[in-house]
Amino acid sequence: MEPVLTARLGRADSRSIASYLADGGYGALKKVLGGWTPEQLTEEVKKSGLRGRGGAGFPTGVKWGFIPKDTRGKPVYLLCNADESEPGTFKDRLLMERDPHQVIEGIILSAYAIKCRDAYIYIRGEFYDGARVLNAAIEEAYAKGFLGERILGSTYSLDLTVHRGAGAYICGEETGLIESLEGKRGQPRIKPPFPAVSGVFSCPTIVNNVETLACVVHIVNRGADWFAKIGRNEKNTGPKLYCLSGHVNRPGVYEAAIGLPLKELIFGDAYGRGMKNGRRVKAVIPGGASANMLTAPEIEDCPLDFDGVAAKGSMLGSAAIIVMNEDTCIVNAAQNLSKFFSHESCGQCTPCREGTPWLYRVLTRIEEGSGRLEDVELLERICNQMANGMTICVFADAAIAPPLSSVQKFRDEYRYHVENKRCLVGAKAALVTA
Amino acid sequence: MSANPAPPMGPAPAPPPPKDTVKVIFDGRAVEVPKNLNLIEAARLAGIDIPHFCFHPRLSVVGQCRMCLVEIEGIPKIQAACTTPLREGLSVKTTSEKVRSSRAATMEFLLINHPLDCPICDQAGECTLQDNSFGYGNQLSRYDERKRQYPTFDRTMIGPHVIADMTRCIQCTRCIRFCQEIAGTGELTFLDRGGRTLVWTHDGKPLANDWSGCAADVCPVGALTVREFRFRSRVWYLKKTPSVCPGCNVGCNLSIESKDNVVYRFLPRLNPDVNDYWLCDHGRFLSESLNLRDIDKATARSGDRVEPVSVPAAIERTAREIRAAADAGGPSALFFLGSAHLSNEENFLLRKIADHLGCPNRDAIVDKGRERRMKARSEWVAGDDAAPNHRGAKEMGMTPGRAGHGLEALLAGRATPEVVIVADAGFSTIAEDPVRVAALRRARFLAVAARTSNALTRAADLVLPAASLSEKEGTFTNLQGRVQIFERAYLPKPPVRAHWELLLGLAIALGFGDRSWTPSDLRAQIAREVEGYGRVTEAELAGGELLKKGDFAWKGAP
Repeated sequence: MEPVLTARLGRADSRSIASYLADGGYGALKKVLGGWTPEQLTEEVKKSGLRGRGGAGFPTGVKWGFIPKDTRGKPVYLLCNADESEPGTFKDRLLMERDPHQVIEGIILSAYAIKCRDAYIYIRGEFYDGARVLNAAIEEAYAKGFLGERILGSTYSLDLTVHRGAGAYICGEETGLIESLEGKRGQPRIKPPFPAVSGVFSCPTIVNNVETLACVVHIVNRGADWFAKIGRNEKNTGPKLYCLSGHVNRPGVYEAAIGLPLKELIFGDAYGRGMKNGRRVKAVIPGGASANMLTAPEIEDCPLDFDGVAAKGSMLGSAAIIVMNEDTCIVNAAQNLSKFFSHESCGQCTPCREGTPWLYRVLTRIEEGSGRLEDVELLERICNQMANGMTICVFADAAIAPPLSSVQKFRDEYRYHVENKRCLVGAKAALVTA
Repeated sequence: MSANPAPPMGPAPAPPPPKDTVKVIFDGRAVEVPKNLNLIEAARLAGIDIPHFCFHPRLSVVGQCRMCLVEIEGIPKIQAACTTPLREGLSVKTTSEKVRSSRAATMEFLLINHPLDCPICDQAGECTLQDNSFGYGNQLSRYDERKRQYPTFDRTMIGPHVIADMTRCIQCTRCIRFCQEIAGTGELTFLDRGGRTLVWTHDGKPLANDWSGCAADVCPVGALTVREFRFRSRVWYLKKTPSVCPGCNVGCNLSIESKDNVVYRFLPRLNPDVNDYWLCDHGRFLSESLNLRDIDKATARSGDRVEPVSVPAAIERTAREIRAAADAGGPSALFFLGSAHLSNEENFLLRKIADHLGCPNRDAIVDKGRERRMKARSEWVAGDDAAPNHRGAKEMGMTPGRAGHGLEALLAGRATPEVVIVADAGFSTIAEDPVRVAALRRARFLAVAARTSNALTRAADLVLPAASLSEKEGTFTNLQGRVQIFERAYLPKPPVRAHWELLLGLAIALGFGDRSWTPSDLRAQIAREVEGYGRVTEAELAGGELLKKGDFAWKGAP
């Protein structure tokens, strides 16, 4: 597939509005403002089958349709979720830093579809560069009349503001993001009400991922049918960015039609070009830290789309593929990820606040050679009593994915760790005190 | 055919009356409950206890503690009861195995980092965590790690009254929400996140609002405790007696908690119309003042000597002096001073004595203090009297009668009665002012009833030992006109007697009244004789529901 979202990234001045316009940029906006109704645009996005690229994979057009017909005088907000904090994910950053106008055009189009007058980009605090680039691009767009009052002479007006987060994973969760944007502690809200009914400032709100919004530009430009034809089946459509990291020869962001086989991504010449030093694959995390690990046999025929990965008992999530080779200590990997989750839990719900550090401590104990046989079972039981409705948001469900899936799939390795006080693989020097 | 058929002809049928109840099915049993309730409250109405920590009926619902988990028909995942809106036909399972194990999971998570040192925790006995651990906790802990510590955030005073110990905190945020939503001051907040989350004050600013004790009240565990009560008594030794706050004329409902004739603390009693679940610090910390007493016997002055006398003899002498003065100079030679600190019954009895003698010289005054505000269920109530019952004293008739004079005339020297009877030596700060006491002292005979000494008792000819609020029964009328009863927590130590007993003794000595009269007989007389007091209902008299720290009572529909 020829690149769509990443088509312009190679250009020297890809950030500037001049080069974007030269490549036909803001054409989609002109097309829509030239006579499309917001409903028409929403319908087009529905038809394209575009599913949210942030992680949940919810159909974007359907989400837009949840905005109440009568908002009782309340304004509608569009929030661009640029918090990209899932470990292993770095695709939105690329889009924002290298082709900001594509993102901005996507935001303007989507804002038009939901009749929003004020949109925000909530960008991860650490993305200082991204915020700088976006702000410069927004200034250019205002100067050219793509933002502000009466865009391109139409009756539509939109203001766009970049808001930098303060560095919290949980602010990528849409209600946590909304709380943070309101200036409060980043804590997810109780749902319902869902943001489409009552979101930021208690107004109807749509939160969309950067990549999702960028896709809207191309749906308008080339049509929903073109978009829907890309991909494995009609439920998984469009181009997709994959973030490949770990023990592969060529890690990076790759664009492909959604449904790219996982093996192709790792071994294909256009992609990862195989495992580093010819080692074998031990485990793959297909969708960021929150996704269950897959074993080498499980990656054999795994199409990288929402339903394909779900069929393997994991999830595509933010499409962050983390590959681990046979020298990886799986206990160490789970411990590492658990540390992240225990650090990032917002702390409002008891099971998550208390469970994530507990998991980390048990894993640390096993990793350091002072684990006990019952610890392996204990890990599973802690995980099972943290998730599935035990908490307000799905952070806890994400936090248990690495330890639970690794215990279930690599139980022998955990056993070995406990019994021999060292790793099964020689990757990490074991702590042998006996 | 049109998609939208025209409305049928004729007058539109009257809409059905809006139903304000819904049918909820608890474990298969249908119960009709008011629809504006939270599911936890609705369950309580149905007699089902759903354990919880963060839910409080007057605070916003946050669904954070995850203790109130229930199964809702049609939803596969376990749900928090507090965040589930009531609707017709809602079917709730509160006793299934999944519910039990989920609650047990939350309990385990809460306990892994909670110190298990209840024997040295001041909350023990009224701790929701302790109670729920009996229901859902495990005997053995699977947590083998070092428990979380909060160096420098343990046992620290975060305000003038509240001591915080974050090692005991379960992060339910009730205190934070109280300060934000009820007090409106927002001193408390969450700091840090995840397992390191703690509740503390913003930028070191103290928790010093007018209701800071309530932040400790709503705390379900021993994380916030009140300095004045901390470690003074185990709560299960304390007797709760319904009473009314003596601090101002709002008349907050409270319970006196006492043991061995000592008052240990005040806790609010739930009364949605007056103080709801709250009590201000001013009133709360008056509890200690009830234990003050330096007048424990009757004394009589002769010249510069002060001699103890028996209470009956003192009453007899007072009656003699009154008679002598009345015989010599008529009833206007007498003056009777009631008090806004005394009950309706006592002021009523004093007025009856004055009436019996035909004396129009009587009064009851009140000091004005700072305005005290209290958040009732739906409005703020504010009072600025420094005593609870000025309205009642006046309505009982303790105001100058026809051709009579009041206290002002006495103090200004426009009237100099022969005999002055002060029913409560602590009636006002006037009693501590030597100049104005000297004006009262111009009387030939000055008798007072008192608990603590002041300039007035030192100047008096006769001092009678009188009971404290906790040692007697009576009613106060608050600024809303609400007549509320306070009960006796314990008997005064003889020869101390309740004011009404002393006054009844005096009445009998003067030739009227009946030795068998009790405050409730006096209330019956008040109901017959005083306008507006005939319609006081038993429920109004009884006031609010007893509470314990960290818990809430349930009373009718909100």
